Amino acid sequence: MKLRVRINGADHELEARTDESILDVVRRELGLLSVRETCGIGVCGACTVLLDGEPVSGCLLLAPLADGREITTVEGLGGDDPVQQAFSDAHAFQCGYCTPGMILTAKRLLEETPQLTEDDVRAAMSGNLCRCGSYVKIVEAVLQAANA
Amino acid sequence: MSDPRATGSARYAEDFELPGMLHARIVRSLFPHARVVRVDASAVPESCIVLTPDDVRDLSPYGCQIEDQNVLAERARHVGDPVAAVAAPTPEQAEEAVPLVEIDYEQLPAVFDAVEAAQPGAPLLHETAAAGGAAAYFAMRPQPGTNICHRFRIRHGDVDAGFAEADAIVERMYRIAGAQHAHMEPHACVAHWDGNRLELWTGTQTPFSMRDDLATIFGIPPEAIRIVSLPMGGSFGAKTFVRTEAIAAALARKAQRPVKLVLPRSEEWQTLNRHPATVTVKLGARADGTLVASQTTCYADTGAYADCGPGVAQKMGFAAPGPYRIPNVRVDAYCVYTNLAPNGAFRGYGQMQSTWARERALDTLAEQLGLDPVELRLRNIVRDGDVYCTGETLHDVRFAECLEAAAAAVRWSEGRRGKGIALVMKGMQTPSRAAIAIERDGDDYVLRCATTEMGQGAKRALSLEAARLLGVDVARIRFPDPDTSLVPYDTRTTSSRSTYMMSRALAEAVRDPRGYGEIRNEGGLDPDTGQGIASTHWHQGAAAADVEVDEETGKVTVTHLHTTTYAGRVVNRLGAELQTEGSMIMGLGTALFEEVAFEDGQVINANLSDYATPSFADVPTRFTYELIEEDGADVHGLGETALPPVPPAVGNAVASLGIEVDELPLKPETVLAAMKVRV
Repeated sequence: MKLRVRINGADHELEARTDESILDVVRRELGLLSVRETCGIGVCGACTVLLDGEPVSGCLLLAPLADGREITTVEGLGGDDPVQQAFSDAHAFQCGYCTPGMILTAKRLLEETPQLTEDDVRAAMSGNLCRCGSYVKIVEAVLQAANA
Repeated sequence: MSDPRATGSARYAEDFELPGMLHARIVRSLFPHARVVRVDASAVPESCIVLTPDDVRDLSPYGCQIEDQNVLAERARHVGDPVAAVAAPTPEQAEEAVPLVEIDYEQLPAVFDAVEAAQPGAPLLHETAAAGGAAAYFAMRPQPGTNICHRFRIRHGDVDAGFAEADAIVERMYRIAGAQHAHMEPHACVAHWDGNRLELWTGTQTPFSMRDDLATIFGIPPEAIRIVSLPMGGSFGAKTFVRTEAIAAALARKAQRPVKLVLPRSEEWQTLNRHPATVTVKLGARADGTLVASQTTCYADTGAYADCGPGVAQKMGFAAPGPYRIPNVRVDAYCVYTNLAPNGAFRGYGQMQSTWARERALDTLAEQLGLDPVELRLRNIVRDGDVYCTGETLHDVRFAECLEAAAAAVRWSEGRRGKGIALVMKGMQTPSRAAIAIERDGDDYVLRCATTEMGQGAKRALSLEAARLLGVDVARIRFPDPDTSLVPYDTRTTSSRSTYMMSRALAEAVRDPRGYGEIRNEGGLDPDTGQGIASTHWHQGAAAADVEVDEETGKVTVTHLHTTTYAGRVVNRLGAELQTEGSMIMGLGTALFEEVAFEDGQVINANLSDYATPSFADVPTRFTYELIEEDGADVHGLGETALPPVPPAVGNAVASLGIEVDELPLKPETVLAAMKVRV
């Protein structure tokens, strides 16, 4: 099928199969390699993208369901986004594989709830896994971004 | 501008591609032990390349410590053993081709428990002892006619005489479940043949071991192989030695095209896990708490192939007595084949298993003697200049400091109900070699070395150290991905050795007019007596935990977790903190819930929903640690130290409530069962 979707601020018409995930489509068609598959079943958050601003698991989102909608990946934040900056400043990563998903989840959380406590961050982010265990510094980064 | 990890521009092995490459999938055995009698690929579309046992008959068996594994199995020894492989123009076509390969099996008897498998009469996995692999650094002691592929012993003093003078003796059996590394990026590689030269881009901690093993398999000189180790999205010991690379290379050889192989998540559990173990500890002490004898028997379940299991069993064995003065020590450690998926290197490398057993036994002994567990440990703790049961003298010893700091962190002296402490003494790869070359490129310095990056921060640590030694800004240091055709030999990026070993090689290189530095650490143990040098550099640490146990469900909540580790001179502060935090959190997973579950040899929780890893919600509310530092001291590796003491600190804390649990993980049902026989 032809998938009409706005990705990171630009309109695209992409080749996609109806049975594949948006994760596979954005990696293959656009080389957006920050969207990464770990669990493949929607529990780890490594493939998180924003669908019309809401964080969703890219591995579970069938491509046709993104038709006519807007997708944001971490590449779309540019690099100077306060959340990206806070993650860099707090060194809130080790291997960095989970980082884009963490940042997108945190981005939406900060838009919804500008005044955050540590417990809020931990609860809201618990759908994103980091096997390196960088959680302490990730919480610091999100709180820093909240206060930026 | 933000770090590449935050902008999404960081690249991993999984992202590597070559023009015209095919995508591969592995066809795996459905049975734990079976002879492959027929492979029929006639239903597979012609656009696919199929690799069958016939295609790999000219290839040699391999194995980093024992050469007991074939590229494809004609006799499958575990569920998931690779029997065939396919390569197709797209990943989807490869996936669709897998069920079209028809395989007939003739089932054989199987064994799934290491203690059972070590007994005479158990079904044998490998009839003959195979030759030692390229990465074997000690003599193998296979026990002919059994599934024991390596036996390691320590004989020090006279344990029988020691137990005869003991006033109190504790003897218990401990069991530790297998675990999955669950690195977020799967195993991924791309293989390409250029005539008779093999080029391989892969996420590996062991580029030179990989090169040497592939040279053995394909019967070509190591120089005809180029391994580029790309950054890994986590590894924790899983991306070591040959995993998927030989199959990708054999497919590429047949296809005459590059082949990419990325493991689907579920196949990670069929590729490598952590050794389940059964460890029996017997400790004897005088009434005043002086330890007089220690006896340990370890069974490390290495699964269907040895991999580095002999080394894991040996380290499980030599670390078992721990950082205590004990005049009479006996250790018997067995590495045993079973029909489970292979087990190999995992953060903590065998020492987590024996640390759990010993530190739990010490608390039971303290209870029996009516002594405070901290006091019992301090009475026996090794000090600078003491001789370990291997005969080596210990230097730069900080165990007492670590222990006292950890106890203070949880306010041990104010009451110890719900609290537990534990110590770890962990070795580093001995013998080994590290080398580095520094090249000038304009104003920049290029570091050429085989140290790999898996998220542990090795590139950052060594770049900072190079900048310091050269007196330049760190922005002028470049550190390309290791390429075996361009970098000098290094043993491997394992056992928390790289910051310590490679920074010393780096200091040599800075002094050398040609910019080349090389460091070796010498030693090793006699496998029959355990005498020699186990480790030229010991990792030292302690953990303390404060817990609550839900009386109705048995759920353990760690309210405070603390570790104190000896860091010496810290090179990369953020890295040291992150590695310590990560080790503690991984240790909590092992302590509380991580367990590879099997039924009839089949992993039944091979996904990240049924196999849980720690999340934000699992980090204790109070989560503290301390690095003991000293100016001018040696650099001490910190990649693993804070992991092994965490499970016994938690286990001892639970035991302080009268709930004695001897097996890991401390899952609610296990704790609940122990509560019924509460002491």
